[in-house]
Amino acid sequence: MHGRVKIKSTAQQEEEKRKEREKKLKIYIAARDACFSKRKEGICDDEALQLTQQLLSSNPDFATLWNYRREILMHLEAVKDKDEVQKIYEAELSFLESCLKVNPKSYGSWHHRGWVSARLPQPDWARELSLCDRCLSLDDRNFHCWDYRRMVVKMSGVPVDQELGFTDHLIGSNFSNYSSWHYRSTLLPLLHPESPEPLSPCRKTPQTSPPPSPQTHSHRVCEEQLLKEYELVQNAFFTDPNDQSAWFYYRWLLGRAEREEMISCVYVSRDEERVAVAFSRPVNAQSVGLLLVLDGQPQRVEWRSVHPRFKHSPVWICDLPPGTISDITNEHNLTVHWTEKHTHRDCALYTGRTESYCRDSATDQELFRSELSVEKTSVLQSELQSCNQLQELEPLNKWCLLTIILLMRALDPLGYEKETLAHFQTLKEVDSMRSAYYSDLCSKFMIENTILKMEYAEVRVFSISDKNLTTLCHLDQLLLVTHINLSSNQLQRLPPQFAMLQCLEVLEADNNNIENLEGLFCLSKLEEINLKNNNISTLADLQPLASCPKIKRLDLRGNPVTQMAKIEAELAELLPSVTDILL
Amino acid sequence: MAAEDLPSEFDVVILGTGLAESVVAAACSRVGQRVLHLDRNSYYAANWASFTFNGLLTWIQQHHEESQPEEVQDWSSLLEEGEELIYLSYSDSTSISNLQQTADSEGVEPTADLPRPSAIQGQSEASRKKISYAQLVKEGRQFNIDLVSKLMFSRGSLVDLLIKSNVSRYAEFKNVTRILTYRHGNVEQVPCSRADVFASRQLSVVEKRKLMRFLTSCLEETEEQQGEMNIVFSLFLCDQQLGDNLEHFLLHSIAMVTEDTPTEVGLASTRHFLRCLGRYGNTPFLFPVYGLGEIPQCFCRMSAVFGGVYCLRHSVRCLLVDKDNRCKAVIDSRGQRISCSHFVVDSSYVATEQKKVTTPTRFLSRAILITDASILPSNSGQQVSMVTVPPIAAGFPVVMMVELCSSTMTCLPGTYLVHLTCQSVGSAFDDLSPVVTKMFHTPETDDQETRPSVLWCLYFNMADGLDVEVEGHNLPSNVYLCSGPDGHLGHDHAIRQAQLIFQKILPEEDFCPPAPNPEDVLYDGESLLPTGGGGGDNSGWGEKGEETKENPQTEE
Repeated sequence: MHGRVKIKSTAQQEEEKRKEREKKLKIYIAARDACFSKRKEGICDDEALQLTQQLLSSNPDFATLWNYRREILMHLEAVKDKDEVQKIYEAELSFLESCLKVNPKSYGSWHHRGWVSARLPQPDWARELSLCDRCLSLDDRNFHCWDYRRMVVKMSGVPVDQELGFTDHLIGSNFSNYSSWHYRSTLLPLLHPESPEPLSPCRKTPQTSPPPSPQTHSHRVCEEQLLKEYELVQNAFFTDPNDQSAWFYYRWLLGRAEREEMISCVYVSRDEERVAVAFSRPVNAQSVGLLLVLDGQPQRVEWRSVHPRFKHSPVWICDLPPGTISDITNEHNLTVHWTEKHTHRDCALYTGRTESYCRDSATDQELFRSELSVEKTSVLQSELQSCNQLQELEPLNKWCLLTIILLMRALDPLGYEKETLAHFQTLKEVDSMRSAYYSDLCSKFMIENTILKMEYAEVRVFSISDKNLTTLCHLDQLLLVTHINLSSNQLQRLPPQFAMLQCLEVLEADNNNIENLEGLFCLSKLEEINLKNNNISTLADLQPLASCPKIKRLDLRGNPVTQMAKIEAELAELLPSVTDILL
Repeated sequence: MAAEDLPSEFDVVILGTGLAESVVAAACSRVGQRVLHLDRNSYYAANWASFTFNGLLTWIQQHHEESQPEEVQDWSSLLEEGEELIYLSYSDSTSISNLQQTADSEGVEPTADLPRPSAIQGQSEASRKKISYAQLVKEGRQFNIDLVSKLMFSRGSLVDLLIKSNVSRYAEFKNVTRILTYRHGNVEQVPCSRADVFASRQLSVVEKRKLMRFLTSCLEETEEQQGEMNIVFSLFLCDQQLGDNLEHFLLHSIAMVTEDTPTEVGLASTRHFLRCLGRYGNTPFLFPVYGLGEIPQCFCRMSAVFGGVYCLRHSVRCLLVDKDNRCKAVIDSRGQRISCSHFVVDSSYVATEQKKVTTPTRFLSRAILITDASILPSNSGQQVSMVTVPPIAAGFPVVMMVELCSSTMTCLPGTYLVHLTCQSVGSAFDDLSPVVTKMFHTPETDDQETRPSVLWCLYFNMADGLDVEVEGHNLPSNVYLCSGPDGHLGHDHAIRQAQLIFQKILPEEDFCPPAPNPEDVLYDGESLLPTGGGGGDNSGWGEKGEETKENPQTEE
């Protein structure tokens, strides 16, 4: 066909491009080598500035060159007058803009810009802020720019409400934006701090403890603003319930009360002359200034965690010097001071008693409700209603289901137990990739509920059989439990934390998949262990039991280990105290 | 241009510079056909054209004047043996009708700089300074007023073609920024994108969820939808239990169909709308800066770059047809015989008796308004709005309205250009003035300052090109007809026509392949033009003859 435009063949084009590339590479390498040798000689001249500029404008991620450039600039700063320095730095900023066009996510360029802006004699922060606006309008998730923006805002004192307005704008154009939501969560407490109000009854503390630290209520937002935020974020998750950024912000709004730091339980045993102390969070008792005072006398004791694996643990024990409390006719007063936190707990061991304890129960502390906030019940109730409404429309949305579960737990963990379990079942089906996570979470909630029930009943028996437990947690809350029933669950191990059950006498854990007994460590009162139909396969798995001196009865029926040759003899050697063994 | 003779041989002669003709011209030139492209008007794009305010006034005047019947000349001397003549119509007397200018300057001399009567009575007039008719005339060059009102679907065939062919480089585009609808006497924003739905204040959260869910489900063709195919779309929507708000938005603004549209069509239309969302912005539409009249010109430019020859104010008087009923040549308005293998013509050049028109010709009703404020003022002043106006009463048509702000370079800063379009029921004035009166402040309405004032207004009817077929007329087999503009919002009709014609002419060739990168073009020795471009020397880009010298290499 005549008249057709003739076009170079692909081979021709590629050859040309290859040559072009080669040429560029040559120039680049030459310039790079020149820069390096200049730097070696310590030359800080204009030529070096130009060379680095050439290189950086084609490859803004060359960190060494940025460093060299800073050396040169600092040198110039020393020798030139202020106006010239201003000009040099202004030129640097416009050069940086071109670099950011090459790679808007270059670490080097953004860092250098921050450095230059901070050194500029007369910084133009408004211009920097508008640069951030522009960059973020092109890519609202560029975290380099977010970082720089925060710096600019800090340096120039941009009003918080203006920044909040900016997040409004970004969220309005695309709410799938963690950065904006997160920025909001840092701005709101500054702009609308929660007014200090008297402590709600659920947070009452023992009168002996000092008042809670002021940061307990920090990061919270006043109620009026919170309600607006709930509305905003509901708009987001009703519009797109599969977008997780809004759900995470929602979780933040619903809050996460910080637990007060305190000694939650002190336990004394006369027989073992031992003291066990439980803390509200894992601590390293050796370094937090723990002081034991017995009948007015500070004692020199050695604190140890319940298991050698833990350097930090919520439960610590110590042995009293032999003979100090062994006489049953004596009464003793014990105080444990947590000097670092200015808190302490007393415990009296009366005449004729073999043990004693003093504690705040989980029910008093409303411990497990703190997961979601100190929010008012009415607010949580109306949020639950909204989520239920969404769930009706989107019965299979995992974020909605999970949030409903959390709200229900915050409101009434025992009352909503049935619904919670049903929702967990749905969650495991719709999000099967995370079914193990949901099983663990469900186990946690079931354990919390059982703890609550146990404490309402004021007993020291913890029974949670046939609840599909996959994991154990909150074991620090079970310090005083003497009898535990974990039968017919799906547990695979008794983790080291299990050693926190310092008062345990009877363990029932039949019909699980337990293959690891690490947690049965130094349980000095443990007498009976039922492990029928589990998965214990070697003698080594039973090794931890050797550290429990009082075991008398052991049921290992239905475990692979029973098939071993000479098992009886081996067990007798390993566990001499056992008198009654079922294989 | 000097009365220089044109080359006497071309592959394709195209008469009329409307969109379809221009696309055919570009496509043919691109693959090396020698193209002669003519238009009897002094401007490009025929009924697709954009005018300055003054240009539009001239256009109105021309249409008011009776066209002079041309004396029939005898061309028999140019006939070869066995050839017959088919005369083309001299002027287009049918496609535009019922022109009615209701400027509020009526009675006021266009030159007189008098304040409007209401300005004298002036209540809140001080805050809103009226722009006088004289100012409009004085600043007339700042207007680019389209005769047709369309928008480009961002995944429609026009946008695809502009991208594929690289013609997009000749124009700039702006997003339509919002979709509005007129409902219960108010203008409301239609939430259609995810961001809109999120930000909407009219919808409850439950409505938001329902809307999003419906829209998401529309993107896939589900079996559930298949089951509902035999009912009309409005009933189908009703069955979804979406509520009145959402049904209105979906039917009128998103699917943009009528009450009795079948579900299948409604869903397809919704799907198209949704697929177009988010490609360039939060609405499905683009609008070319400087107006729609730019688009045909861009394709003409592409044709010229590849050697197409352009002449405005130049027409074809008659076709020479051989015994096989093929058009062998044409005689132009200067009496020159130009041979060609194919002839493409805008239907308005063809006499009615030669056209096969199925139904009584349908018309579109158009109104063009210059107003002083947006129908829905917003914080960010520069909005380009698409407004759907459902029938204001039984028997009235659905009206599509586009409001352009000055950043589209179609109107004077401080004014808005509003286009209204509907299928004609009566005359344009009868169809559209009730809507205008309801939504705007006109001299006839009571003083309600909340509504934008109409500074100038034009009504006219335009033939709807939708029914005109490319072939099957009482014409030679190698003559193809291009309809004028159609009433649809998008450009699919014209692009489809152009593609069809191109395939008839060159069945083996690719339709508008990408123009090569300038650096990849090879040139023969001294020739500046693409090698062997048909009739290169003489190619004139209308008034801007040098344009053809702009071969791709000079473009950087």
